[in-house]
Amino acid sequence: MSNGPLDIKAISGHAGPVPGRNTSRTYDVCKLIDVTTCIGCKACEVACLEWNGYPFRETVFDNTYQTMPDLAWNYYNLIRFNEHVDGDGTVSWLMRKDQCMHCAEPGCLIACPADGAIVQYSNGIVDFQQEHCIGCEYCVTGCPFNIPKFNSATKKVHKCTLCSDRVGAGLEPACIKACPTGCLHFGSKDDMKALAETRAKQLREQTSHHNAGVYDPAGVGGTHVIYVLHDIDHPERYGGLPKNPRVPWTVRLWKGPLKWLGDIAIAVGIAGVAAHYIRYGPKKITEPESGETAETAKKGEPQ
Amino acid sequence: MSAASNVAQSSPTGAIERYTFRERVMHWITGLTYLYCLATGLAFYSPHLYWLATMLGSGPTSRFWHPILGVVFLMGTLWMQNLWRRDMEIAETDRRWLDRVENYIANRDELLPLQERFNAGQKLFYWLMFYGALLLLLSGFFLWLPEYIPRQAAWIRGVMVLIHEIAALATIGAFIIHVYMGVFMVPGSMTAITTGFVSRAWARTHHRLWYMRATGDAPARK
Amino acid sequence: MTNGWIDIKNTDMMLIMGGNPAENHPCGFKWPVEAKRQRNAKMIVVDPRFTRTAAVADLFLQIRAGTDIAFLGGLIRYAIENQRIARDYLINYTNAAFLIKNGFKLPEDGLYSGFDPAAQVYDKSTWNYEEGGNLTGKNRVADPPAATATTQPGQTPAPPSLPPNVAYDAALEHPRCVFQLLKKQYSRYTPEMVERITGIPKDQFLKAADLFTSIRKDGDTRKAGTIIYAVGWTQHTSGSQIIRTAAMLQLLLGNVGRAGGGVNALRGHSNIQGATDIAGVFDILPGYLKVPIPTDQDYATWIKRTTPASSKPKEWDSWNYWSNTPKFAVSFLKAMFGDAASKENDWAFSYLPKVDREYSWAHIWDDMYAGQVKGLLAFGMNGVAIGPNSQKNIDALKKAEWLVVCEIYPDETSSFWKSPGVTPDAMKNIQTEVYRLPGAGFAEKDGTFVNSARWLQWKWAALPPPGEAKVDQEILARIFLKVRELYQKEGGKLPDPILKLAWNYTDPYNPSLAEVAREINGRALADVTDPATQQTIKAGQQLPGFAFLRDDGSTSSGNWLYCGSWTEAGPLMQRRGTEDPSGLGIYPNWGWSWPMNRRVMYNRASCDVNGQPWDPDRRQVWWNEAQKRWLGNDVPDFKADSAPKDHMGPFIMNPEGVGRLFVPLAGMADGPFPEHYEPIESPIANPLHPNQSNNPVVKKYKSDMDKYGTPEQGFTVVCTTYRLTEHYHYWTKNNPMNVQLVPEMFVEIPAELANEMGITGGEKVKVTSARGTYLAKAMVTRRIRPMTIDGKKVYQIGVPIHQGYRGIQEDAGKVPRTVANMLSPVVTDPNAYTPEFKGFLVKLEKA
Repeated sequence: MSNGPLDIKAISGHAGPVPGRNTSRTYDVCKLIDVTTCIGCKACEVACLEWNGYPFRETVFDNTYQTMPDLAWNYYNLIRFNEHVDGDGTVSWLMRKDQCMHCAEPGCLIACPADGAIVQYSNGIVDFQQEHCIGCEYCVTGCPFNIPKFNSATKKVHKCTLCSDRVGAGLEPACIKACPTGCLHFGSKDDMKALAETRAKQLREQTSHHNAGVYDPAGVGGTHVIYVLHDIDHPERYGGLPKNPRVPWTVRLWKGPLKWLGDIAIAVGIAGVAAHYIRYGPKKITEPESGETAETAKKGEPQ
Repeated sequence: MSAASNVAQSSPTGAIERYTFRERVMHWITGLTYLYCLATGLAFYSPHLYWLATMLGSGPTSRFWHPILGVVFLMGTLWMQNLWRRDMEIAETDRRWLDRVENYIANRDELLPLQERFNAGQKLFYWLMFYGALLLLLSGFFLWLPEYIPRQAAWIRGVMVLIHEIAALATIGAFIIHVYMGVFMVPGSMTAITTGFVSRAWARTHHRLWYMRATGDAPARK
Repeated sequence: MTNGWIDIKNTDMMLIMGGNPAENHPCGFKWPVEAKRQRNAKMIVVDPRFTRTAAVADLFLQIRAGTDIAFLGGLIRYAIENQRIARDYLINYTNAAFLIKNGFKLPEDGLYSGFDPAAQVYDKSTWNYEEGGNLTGKNRVADPPAATATTQPGQTPAPPSLPPNVAYDAALEHPRCVFQLLKKQYSRYTPEMVERITGIPKDQFLKAADLFTSIRKDGDTRKAGTIIYAVGWTQHTSGSQIIRTAAMLQLLLGNVGRAGGGVNALRGHSNIQGATDIAGVFDILPGYLKVPIPTDQDYATWIKRTTPASSKPKEWDSWNYWSNTPKFAVSFLKAMFGDAASKENDWAFSYLPKVDREYSWAHIWDDMYAGQVKGLLAFGMNGVAIGPNSQKNIDALKKAEWLVVCEIYPDETSSFWKSPGVTPDAMKNIQTEVYRLPGAGFAEKDGTFVNSARWLQWKWAALPPPGEAKVDQEILARIFLKVRELYQKEGGKLPDPILKLAWNYTDPYNPSLAEVAREINGRALADVTDPATQQTIKAGQQLPGFAFLRDDGSTSSGNWLYCGSWTEAGPLMQRRGTEDPSGLGIYPNWGWSWPMNRRVMYNRASCDVNGQPWDPDRRQVWWNEAQKRWLGNDVPDFKADSAPKDHMGPFIMNPEGVGRLFVPLAGMADGPFPEHYEPIESPIANPLHPNQSNNPVVKKYKSDMDKYGTPEQGFTVVCTTYRLTEHYHYWTKNNPMNVQLVPEMFVEIPAELANEMGITGGEKVKVTSARGTYLAKAMVTRRIRPMTIDGKKVYQIGVPIHQGYRGIQEDAGKVPRTVANMLSPVVTDPNAYTPEFKGFLVKLEKA
């Protein structure tokens, strides 16, 4: 789908105007991951590596089919494998493609102090601009999904770009293109939401997954990557998908009220000392260069 | 305990040494590193001040040096603690001084108790900066290398961010007053912390007890 | 596949068993997913372990490896008992109504009639149809036991043949009709028996049986169900019979020939279907013509033996397409030997080798181990790692004089002389001369792949082979031309097959595959005219289809099944048309599918006896009364002008014209109906007949390397082997990207067993069979549960095969240099000669 040139609607650590702010697109983009049809083939992992040009990295066997324990700065996209046994002994093997969720209210962008290091395009993609990244990793703190990963060699943070380069050129993200089963879909948020709801309804009515639902968490304003889950009440079973993700309250407090209070306090402080100078001026030397001191001391000592 | 507790030989002009060379080096290391951390920290704190980071090299440069100079600042603080701890102990007289601090603010110093080497305000500033520095470094450590914090403990970093910010704001408030007083409010202070010497009149005016003890004009304190 | 990958989207019900398509055929697996999404199709997965396919299934059952016939037999019983069968289909399109000879005996004791215990073979003369007519409503009294067939002394009995006029009972009530025998055969496969053998709890089995047969609930004929399998079925000593059981179940339910139905084999390599079509197996010639044997003294004898006569009820019709065998055979010989094949010299029949015994994979290695095979040309296959019993293959190669390996990486086979355990001293004693030829990778070659759906799809080379690497045909051509040169110079015992082989390629040293493909399609050598259409193909022109093939030497075709793939219209396998007017996923203009671009085989069976589709929403073909022709969205797999009233059977490749629930005579080596036999190494005696536990005609190998373990020797754990999505056989351990995804191999161990043994995930374990050991790390999982087999607690473990002693991790010393097939036994299915890679016995230890 062509989304035309990417307009920026939010910029991290930025004081001036934002070119795309208040402009509205005809649609937001969205990746739909139908977890109920994911077969854990890892084609998306390979496609992601190949498109982004990341080389071989060494992995070790860890009693799982999962490629590595967590995402890495050069591994944006990881299928998390989780075995789950129900109360009645039914085994399920949950495979969830984990990557940046591209939140509508991105905690990373909110937390980021570096001007332009994180941008949010008007189509909803949240993208890191490594040339502006200062490596402070506040985005790591701001993210409720534990996504951004730090490259300690270059001191830059990386994460899934939703292939903003491909999307900007009218292509789908690489993972979508590689997915063999059609578990991954890409389109407008409205369309994907509708597709996801249809699928969830089908699962509820036609299969034993009576609790199927769509994961599009409101706590971060919705996401531009949404899931269809077998059991919407237990997202944590899918490798720690938070049930109700929110930008941490500490980050909200820090970047919100506390910042304004701090600004005011500093301003008041400076104004206060200035006022003091105007009102009282500098202290004067009241003692002579030499002479009796004890008397003076006595005299000056109040009771 | 420290050399600064004694007064050096009077200089030809009659000035007396208030800060030794070591103390001055120590002060300026601490002060300048604080200043750097302040400037870069403010850049990270507010988009409106991000230009400070750009001016100081670049965002990444500032991010790189901020924690390192933060550690230097803390080391300076610890050195300071080593040199000045005894001078900074808060005594009964300080409490009385603080009760009448409005007189100090209003430049009615004659209504205040006589002061030792440092007055109660300076001591308070000192302790605020000392504990502030400890907090900044402790919280800063978590901000410095967050990738070593396990995911389950990610909330710690959020708390540390808040601590860092609040501690920084507290020190900033104190720092504003410190700079104002050093530069504008108490003439002679800058000379003291740069050359090490103050005039006898200055010493008698502001730190009479110290002056008396240092010059042997008066019995020892207490 | 009777159907095709895309056709799976048309199904309502999937039984996936003996295959793990999500992992091993992920691209094709989009179609099962599509069926689930678009049609609410149900998916039942039956496997020894909970796989990634099971992860998306509606129902998963854990089965003991090697007990598939018991499960499927139970399904047959359930379908019959509960009237969930397609009765019209059964009567008219299968041999359910056919009567079987008096004297045929079912294997209640584990043996069918006619077993010769000394030779371990069956005399199959009672496995035959009764001669006669329509017995519907007539004599249904059970016959007295037949007298033992007697042979006059000194008289060789004529080989038994199928009767031309088969007796039948369309009411399916005669006690000797196939349906009644079938019912009796599987009446023993009760849910309780299924549980005892397979370890699947009765309630779970019944749930699956109810679900799978629900498509025929209340007489519904519109729905269709498919069965999908792969080498999890073939790699057993009863492999062919497992697949037969599936075919029978599908015939019972009326699912064969229908969109969304069929019996669908998933091919595990990009061109394994093509390899089979073009005679990758020793007992066939291209196009599944039967290979000559020593008694075929001349062309006429061979043709008489291999061309079947039709055998059917007199009132019915049968096309018996194999009656065209002479046309296919002569055209093949003309393609092989050109002008050197003439009517006068029996079409050069004498140039064809006569196969005197079994030359299957296991036999080749056994013969080499016995010192009878001097050399081996290994092209694109890693014989040591493939196994079974890799150590035997290694030791066999030590006895060969030479070995030529054409590969794209140095592999285990070409490095056999430095396999684990070979000391420097021992290495000096290995005299085998090894040649490595640098081959070209798949992306460096053009040519066709034939996929599971029987599509020929041309591909173009993406880049030239690197360095000194050469494409296969150049390597083979250069070897051939050198050999021919030697024959020319030195003569030989039988030089003609070599000297007179047709080799008319523009560049004889590097024939273009386009030329070879045209040759395989075939051309007219003289003008040939189709009597039905009066269409004439001029001499020298490419043939449009196998209907033009002649047995008078006027046509040539390398493989009759591929005739029509490269016609005068050009290479149809290169077509990339994406039109699908019917919406059934037929895509008639994409590539080319044998036979004659049909996408679903036997598609006449998708219609009722009147020639109208069982399901009007899935119209594949239909009889058009006005035009007196069969028309269709797909190409009708039928005689185009055979009216439904003629009652011609839809299974045109069988002499009966109908599907075989009962396979008469020589069709199967081990029984006309499948019977459950235990794997050669089994934790229990067969609960059906403990005294005949294993398949009676399966022969164990006798060399000192061929050992078979028993529970008494401590081999109590059932072991199965398989591939992972992340790797491709023994190649991708040379590719960093694959190694990154799965850096080392593991053994999947049930959590309960691991607990008992104190094994934790990631710990090194040793798996030992009677033949060898395998080292890998433990993957402790809850996806394999302990099983209760015939009252006994049995554990299964799983071993992915992709480890060897050559690869990135192996060379770096990061993983154990052991091969999974060090464990597997050399013992094969008696029909297809596939080794039993699944379901053998091992013991597990901490390493």
